[in-house]
Amino acid sequence: MSFARRFFASPPAIFGFAVFLAIVAIALAAPLLFARGPLSIVDMPLLPPGSPGLLAGSDVIGRDMAVGLAYGARISLLVGIASTCCAVGIGVLLGAIAGYYGGWLDDLLMRVTEFFQIIPSFVLLMVLVAFLQPSLGSAVIGIALITWPQVARVVRGQFLSLRSREFVEAARIIGMGDARIIFTQILPNALPPIVVVSSMMVGNAILTESALSFLGLGDPNLMSWGSMIGGSRVAMWVAWWTTVLPGLCIVITVLALNFIGDGLNDALNPRRRG
Amino acid sequence: MPLLALQNLTIALPQGADRPLAVEDVSLQIGRNEIVCIVGESGSGKSLTAHAVMGLLPRGVVATGGGILFEGADLLKETQEAMRRRRGPDIAMIFQDPMAALNPVMTVGHQVAEQIRAHRALSEHRAQKQTEELLGQMGLKDPRGLLKAYPHQLSGGQRQRVMIAMALSLSPKLLIADEPTTALDVTTQAQILKLIKRLQAERAMSVLFITHDFGVVADMADSVAVMRHGRIVESGTTRQVLGSPAHDYTRALLAAVPKGENYLPPPAQAKALVQVSGLTKRFRRGGLFSRSPAITAVDQVSLSLSRGETLGVVGESGSGKSTLARCVIRLLDPDAGEVLLDGADIAHMRERRLRPLRRRIQMVFQDPFSSLNPRQTIGDIVTAGPRILGEDAGQARARAAETLELVGLKPECMHRFPHEFSGGQRQRIGLARALMLKPDVLIADEPVSALDVTVQAQVLKLLDDVRRQMNLAMLFITHDMRVAAEVCHRVMVMRHGQVVEEGLTRDIFTAPASDYTKALLAAIPGRQWP
Amino acid sequence: MKFSYIAGRLVKTVLITVAVVLLSFFLIRAAPGDAATVMAGQTGFADEAYMKGLRAEYGLDQPLPVQLWRYVSRVAQGDLGTSYVRRQPVADIILERLPNTLLLDAFALLVAAAGGIWLGSVAARRPGSAGDSAVTVLAMLFYAVPQFWLGMMMVLVFAVWFHLLPPFGIETMGADYTGLARLGDVAQHIILPGMTLALFFLASYARLTRTAMIDVADQDFVKTARAKGLTERQVARRHILRNALIPLVTYAGLQASLLVGGSVLVENVFSWPGIGTLAFQAVQSRDNPLLLGIFIVTAILVSLFNLITDIAYSIADPRVELGR
Repeated sequence: MSFARRFFASPPAIFGFAVFLAIVAIALAAPLLFARGPLSIVDMPLLPPGSPGLLAGSDVIGRDMAVGLAYGARISLLVGIASTCCAVGIGVLLGAIAGYYGGWLDDLLMRVTEFFQIIPSFVLLMVLVAFLQPSLGSAVIGIALITWPQVARVVRGQFLSLRSREFVEAARIIGMGDARIIFTQILPNALPPIVVVSSMMVGNAILTESALSFLGLGDPNLMSWGSMIGGSRVAMWVAWWTTVLPGLCIVITVLALNFIGDGLNDALNPRRRG
Repeated sequence: MPLLALQNLTIALPQGADRPLAVEDVSLQIGRNEIVCIVGESGSGKSLTAHAVMGLLPRGVVATGGGILFEGADLLKETQEAMRRRRGPDIAMIFQDPMAALNPVMTVGHQVAEQIRAHRALSEHRAQKQTEELLGQMGLKDPRGLLKAYPHQLSGGQRQRVMIAMALSLSPKLLIADEPTTALDVTTQAQILKLIKRLQAERAMSVLFITHDFGVVADMADSVAVMRHGRIVESGTTRQVLGSPAHDYTRALLAAVPKGENYLPPPAQAKALVQVSGLTKRFRRGGLFSRSPAITAVDQVSLSLSRGETLGVVGESGSGKSTLARCVIRLLDPDAGEVLLDGADIAHMRERRLRPLRRRIQMVFQDPFSSLNPRQTIGDIVTAGPRILGEDAGQARARAAETLELVGLKPECMHRFPHEFSGGQRQRIGLARALMLKPDVLIADEPVSALDVTVQAQVLKLLDDVRRQMNLAMLFITHDMRVAAEVCHRVMVMRHGQVVEEGLTRDIFTAPASDYTKALLAAIPGRQWP
Repeated sequence: MKFSYIAGRLVKTVLITVAVVLLSFFLIRAAPGDAATVMAGQTGFADEAYMKGLRAEYGLDQPLPVQLWRYVSRVAQGDLGTSYVRRQPVADIILERLPNTLLLDAFALLVAAAGGIWLGSVAARRPGSAGDSAVTVLAMLFYAVPQFWLGMMMVLVFAVWFHLLPPFGIETMGADYTGLARLGDVAQHIILPGMTLALFFLASYARLTRTAMIDVADQDFVKTARAKGLTERQVARRHILRNALIPLVTYAGLQASLLVGGSVLVENVFSWPGIGTLAFQAVQSRDNPLLLGIFIVTAILVSLFNLITDIAYSIADPRVELGR
């Protein structure tokens, strides 16, 4: 069974993939559908969903919730994917070198990842974002900086175990150089857990970004799901949709990504049971 | 009435397995005070048959036909609870890998006592006292101290003795032993087999012994049944089946067992191609700040090897033979000593100078399942070496086709992936990969240990043919003396990193000088077998 | 227990703490906006002389290496400096709030571990069944929920709609309970934030336990246990669960470390007076000494938790030797 067949054999994975595509579509289409942007005031504040012209109601200032949700998708996806790509890039590079060469390089990497584990990472993130001034870029950089150690640890573990496998020894014997061994022999076999971890990380990055915006540390000029929830705190008790709807969007998106991650895991490791 | 009677037993495998029935229409009888062996290669269904008697078939595997009669009662028709009560007092089982078969977080004493207390109303204290006695009967020293030990603190042989003690603690009528010595060193194996035989005689117990090794059958069994693809192809007394086998398959199996008798003639005198002297390799455990002592895996080892000859390096696990091989081929860097290849010392050469010389020494590995990159095609795997050395891809593929044919495979397999091939075929591919570089020296590190005996014989023959055809100098690592006798001109015996004895195969086998070598030879199962 | 190992780990803790101090010091100092400006901005006085006075008082006019040295030597004596904003010793501020966070964390840890392990073992008993799928789906759901939003939803449901539990704080303000009544009051207040924190980790425990038990159930020694004639319950409890708990010890240690530094959001939503809220306020107000102090205290705590986890792990798994 090919990889694609295995992936799509599981209903949750199909569901996750479909939902994810839908969200991407909405995110891409938002500027086309809602040209005025999410920040313009369109009506009275705190109108419930179903009011004329307001599919999802209006928020505390009177902005269209539906537009806000659509634009919020753009931020979440952007930050989630960009920060994960950066983190994976750094993590794979450092983890591969440390795992393959071992010795003091490996010790160094382990000390660094330990350091990141000991520091309260969310507090560090807040400090970084505050330091760099809250913006989309600082969120991406900050999240990438606190999550790359996870990737590096996984990659290092993979490389450590694969480098003493016999087919790698065989590659050395036939005269393959280190770089070639890393890229053509070990990395393709190390990919499955890296792919799975990455898909989970996108979900986590979206959660982290929403936490930052909730606390007011997100980009002040952009509307994100987290900032919508943060801004609606005062109205939560009387206008539940201002809080519940953005939160549901986050849950659905991250859930879809996690289903995809699980599906990838099953598809890439067919021998695993249960 | 026989103690145990399998009547037309049929066991079905779940959907998607390579065949629908694991065991088909198997009938077998074990009398009281009798040792019966079931012998077969992997996939023959022998192990599942044993598990069925205990009612321990894995999930999804079900006995669909026939009966298992124990003292007349059909075990397949009994309730779970009734079967549970039999396990221990009536029937007991020991497994292949004692490290995996013992709970790693429970002390030895507690585990054995648990077996006793599952069926007898005894306090923990009394049960442990009984355990202490049992362990002593198994030949274990300091049984009281062992009660508090954990499995990982014991040696393989000790662990298997604990398993046996546990199994025999309630004096069962039938002991099922599923390949209990396969995971052990050959000297330990001999001791455990002796122990089982002694206990069987003392207790007049019946034993159902599963094995793949005919030597073990010859030493242990009163009767034997040969299984293949889920069916019994032949059965009878040991003397009958081994002396005058009726079925073709039995004959093929017997022929494939390396006898260790037809010794190769001494090699033609030739200049040594490889000369190793004083090779030493130490391993230090722990990191920078560890103070644990270094282990000397290879201790001042010297050897010489010429073209056209095969030198066998024989030893048990921990003898250093694999480390030696890896030092010679520079997968590991030796701490001291020389490795002269045609006069040039490669032991401490820098990688840059070493690289062009690498093609002259190649290796065939032990594990057919991890020696080929699962994500590359056979063609890529086999042509990788020559292409790195600059050979044109088209030419390399043409040569690959020839080399694959040489090792007995069709050139079409170049487009396929390793998982599509069997263990024996993968070893052939590994050999082709090595030969593509036109080496002068071939190191074979336990190349047949993971293979079934019939496939083993084929691969050994192939290695020998290749050596002769290409006039290779071959270093053959193995733990099995019988295999060494089949293909080696000279043999070197290693123990704890040192060379114990070395000489012509015939001399080592017929007139061993050292006690250790004598012990190794005496431990070979089936040695007395005509 | 090797005391030399423990001593070595404590030394390591000190070293890592020093590294934390150094790195955080430079990081925070590098932030734009000098502390004096911040403080002056707060009090409303912006004149140069006042700011110069402030800088001298806090030693901000000294060259960087001097500042660092003075800071490190004071920390070594237990003095974490003075908060710019509150004008109180940082150590006192932190010590006042720390127990609240630790209390919350302990609650969350216990609930998550107990609930998760129970759910996981139930799911593992019959893999593929409806109960198993339900547990898996529930776990996946809790992974996807943002903590702060979950907290708000809990408040909405339990405090606003059903008036069951108090929506914020650690005690009822102005009530001045003492003794047992106080305990009861705190207990009521801790439920919502504690559950919010716990649910995410509960999901992890459930999944880990389930996977661990399924993996362990496949191992040979479980077969041996059955071959000895033990009942299924005995096999599940003494052999499968006991071995499956081993990787969970590591996870518990990880959770403890994550909780100590990561309760910012939940504390914020529930106005829980712990060091999470403190950290947020410190970031907002550029209160560098306080922030640094929190980093240091957290680092020390996490190191200690790591040490305890390693010791617990070596007890749970006798194959592991401390000091490798």
